[in-house]
Amino acid sequence: MKNVKRLVMRVAFVAVLLAIGALMLVIGRGHTVYFDNKTMEYGGKSCETPYKIVVYVKGEQVAKLYNGERGMTTHIGQNFGMALGITQEKGGEEKIVEITQKLPYNIDGVIINLPGYLAGLPEEAYLSEFVAAVVEEEAPEEPIEGDELMPDDGF
Amino acid sequence: MQENKSFGAKALEFIRNNIVPILFIIICAFCIPLSGFTPSYLLNEIVTRMGRNIFLILCLLIPIMAGMGLNFAMTLGAMAGEIALIFVSDWQIWGIPGVVLAMILQIPFSILLGLLCGSILNRAKGREMITSYIISFFMNGLYQLVVLFMMGSIIPIKHFSVKLPRGYGIRNTVSLLNMRQCLDNLLAVNIKGVKIPVLTFLIIGVLCLFIIWFRKTKLGQDMRAVGQDMEVARAAGINVEHTRLISIVISTVMAGFGMIIYLQNMGNIATYSSHSQIGMFCIAALLVGGASVDKASIGNVFLGVILFHTMFIVAPRAGAAITGDSMIGEYFRVFCSYGVITIALVMYETKKRRSQNRTAQELARAAAEETAKEAAK
Amino acid sequence: MLEKKDNNFNSPSKLNDELKSTITPAAAPSKLQMREMGPLRAMAASFGLPRLIIASFLLLMFIVAPFVGNDFWTQISNVINRFSWNAILVLAMVPMIHSGCGLNFGLPLGIISGLLGATLSIELGFTGPGSFLAAIAIATPIAIVLGGGYGWLLNRIKGGEMMIATYVGFSSVSFMCMMWLLLPYHSPTMVWGFAGKGLRTTISLEGFYSEVLANFLAIRVGENFKIPTGTLLFIALMAFLMWAFLHTKTGTAMTAVGSNPTFAKAAGVNVDRMRLLSVVISTWLGALGILVYEQGFGFIQLYNAPFYMALPTVSAILIGGASVNKASIANVVIGTFLFQGMVTMTPTVMNSVIHMDMSEVIRVIVSQGMILYALTRKTEGGGR
Repeated sequence: MKNVKRLVMRVAFVAVLLAIGALMLVIGRGHTVYFDNKTMEYGGKSCETPYKIVVYVKGEQVAKLYNGERGMTTHIGQNFGMALGITQEKGGEEKIVEITQKLPYNIDGVIINLPGYLAGLPEEAYLSEFVAAVVEEEAPEEPIEGDELMPDDGF
Repeated sequence: MQENKSFGAKALEFIRNNIVPILFIIICAFCIPLSGFTPSYLLNEIVTRMGRNIFLILCLLIPIMAGMGLNFAMTLGAMAGEIALIFVSDWQIWGIPGVVLAMILQIPFSILLGLLCGSILNRAKGREMITSYIISFFMNGLYQLVVLFMMGSIIPIKHFSVKLPRGYGIRNTVSLLNMRQCLDNLLAVNIKGVKIPVLTFLIIGVLCLFIIWFRKTKLGQDMRAVGQDMEVARAAGINVEHTRLISIVISTVMAGFGMIIYLQNMGNIATYSSHSQIGMFCIAALLVGGASVDKASIGNVFLGVILFHTMFIVAPRAGAAITGDSMIGEYFRVFCSYGVITIALVMYETKKRRSQNRTAQELARAAAEETAKEAAK
Repeated sequence: MLEKKDNNFNSPSKLNDELKSTITPAAAPSKLQMREMGPLRAMAASFGLPRLIIASFLLLMFIVAPFVGNDFWTQISNVINRFSWNAILVLAMVPMIHSGCGLNFGLPLGIISGLLGATLSIELGFTGPGSFLAAIAIATPIAIVLGGGYGWLLNRIKGGEMMIATYVGFSSVSFMCMMWLLLPYHSPTMVWGFAGKGLRTTISLEGFYSEVLANFLAIRVGENFKIPTGTLLFIALMAFLMWAFLHTKTGTAMTAVGSNPTFAKAAGVNVDRMRLLSVVISTWLGALGILVYEQGFGFIQLYNAPFYMALPTVSAILIGGASVNKASIANVVIGTFLFQGMVTMTPTVMNSVIHMDMSEVIRVIVSQGMILYALTRKTEGGGR
């Protein structure tokens, strides 16, 4: 009886650990989010860029984008919330728009085209994947700071 | 032995028992002014290093309790932690969730490695230390085999920031930028420019409480009995091999946690060298704190970390100030680490021999008395 | 320990005979038995399984090498050369194993003596073959002093030799790292050009004793094949001297100390002195070994280099069939050949076959695995 209880306890413990692990797997996925303030064309329609867009995430300004500029931030999890401060013309009034956007789980770098989003285009239009330009020159990787100088192994 | 020892004799004995910490206090006291670091910088560095190293050093305590000496094979746990972190960064899990996931993920790896290490050590009783030392090198070879050749080819690794461009193998450094110091910064308190990573210290505190509690459990008592005398423990019905195995497994799992805490502070993994030095540093720090091969306390860990890392920070600058060559200081601190381990090992062995001789003499005297009694009859 | 004191060995001369008769066969069984068993079975018996595996692996390498485009004779020549560099270092393991001090993880101490000899010889202005002799002459007293201290230390900590030896080696290497910078060396061939002080990490022996032994009576066939006859002869000489020493009265007593200290003590052998002597010889051979290594390699390597030399040497002799408390000259020769063969052959062959350089990893796993295997075996005929 005691053994059975112990076994159950252990299995429960492992199950809890697994559950936490799975949860972390879901909520911990990190993304890099890029915002473009660029004109884009979709279905024969083109959207105009506002004069300036300021991007706030969790109350902090992460980017200030004029026409044709790109900004970025990092985000953990799939529910990405931001506030956009849009100024249509120079010297004009700033209008705040609150936005929440689901980020696709399997994409590392997500590009959001803000004018496209604001124009109400469908998701596949304004959301695209960021592919890093291939700069694979394998620069001599710097040794980490700190406690070096010990023999690496027996040889 | 005598009750009324003179003050001088007492002082001498105190010095002899604590020669290593005293030596280090002297070295530090000598080097700190020469290095010219500001106290706040020094304090900041020491607090950071305490946060990142203490957990790792604490994992050495349990094998010492079980009489298995200094567990040089704690690097196995470090390897498990690194492998877990490699997976986590391949899956791009960031921040605290990443750290938690890595900690959970490393448990099966380190249990496996711990079981392997423990069963090898059970076959090499009496020379656990040298064996665990060689195990750490041996496993380093296997680790390289897995990480350099199997990951990406057999074990699925996809992310370009982790995998080598050739298609298999892991890069020399894996960046943990996205979880860098996330434990340390959560709940961090800044006092006069000294950042105190409260959460990390809380975790360390929990581990200390665990160790104190563990000592009082049945298993902890068994371990101490095994550490005292294996044969006596066996006669008392303790499963010696099993107890020793468990102690190594616990140590390895804890080393895995410790390594993850260490690496999240550093902010990147030196895939092929991070773990190899860890064992050496932790053991040196523990010994500097006044521990010996068969006796170590939590106090030793804290004192050791402070003294050892103070020396480590100030030695290069002090060396440069004295000789005009900073390399001298670098070599000096390496020499100190090795020297301390050497001295501590020598002191332990001589003490062991002395006590053995004493027991032998006492036994002989008892035997002689016995025969004398027999003769008198 | 004590109850054995009252056995009936009385006359010293009889004692030594007893010692010889009981200990010699136990210490060096392979030679006697080999002759009786016939070569093949004897090989198998003295090799043991792990060695057999490594030997077949090496054989496979030799067979495969020509098919994947590696010149067979170049490979053979490489292996023989590497063998000649390392054999004396491996030989240095023998005395300490014989006297029961275990595997000499403290070999770096001997290497340090050799390095001091080498650098001082150049500093004092010796050149050509003379510098080799001078290096040996200078290294000898240093090795005796350091070895004496080391042996004294090991006598105080019987039972924990191997761990402490490792750390004595490490401490001495890191101490010398400082000394190489601080000692007042001035020879322009050795110090850093711009600073005018502090020794370089590698010092070329061109014009000093580079290949002095190797070129003596060297056999050259074509471009790629060269046998360093002189070095091999020197190794043979040292091996013979070691063999002869182990068969003198002192040598036998040393073996006795290793295989049964209680018995040796009872027989009137001064255990501590024998152990001390073995450590001194080991250290001296370590010094000599590094000098031979340098003359083959052509460079002196200072600073962190000696760190990396003890473990391969230890695993070489273990691969050769030695155990923690038993070693013979044959173990040295076979072990060095197998280990160096493995080290030399695997990178080239592996690279040609699968285009992956796994040799480093294989080397680490095999050599450390070998040491582990030796450490976990029950010691035969050990202390008690």
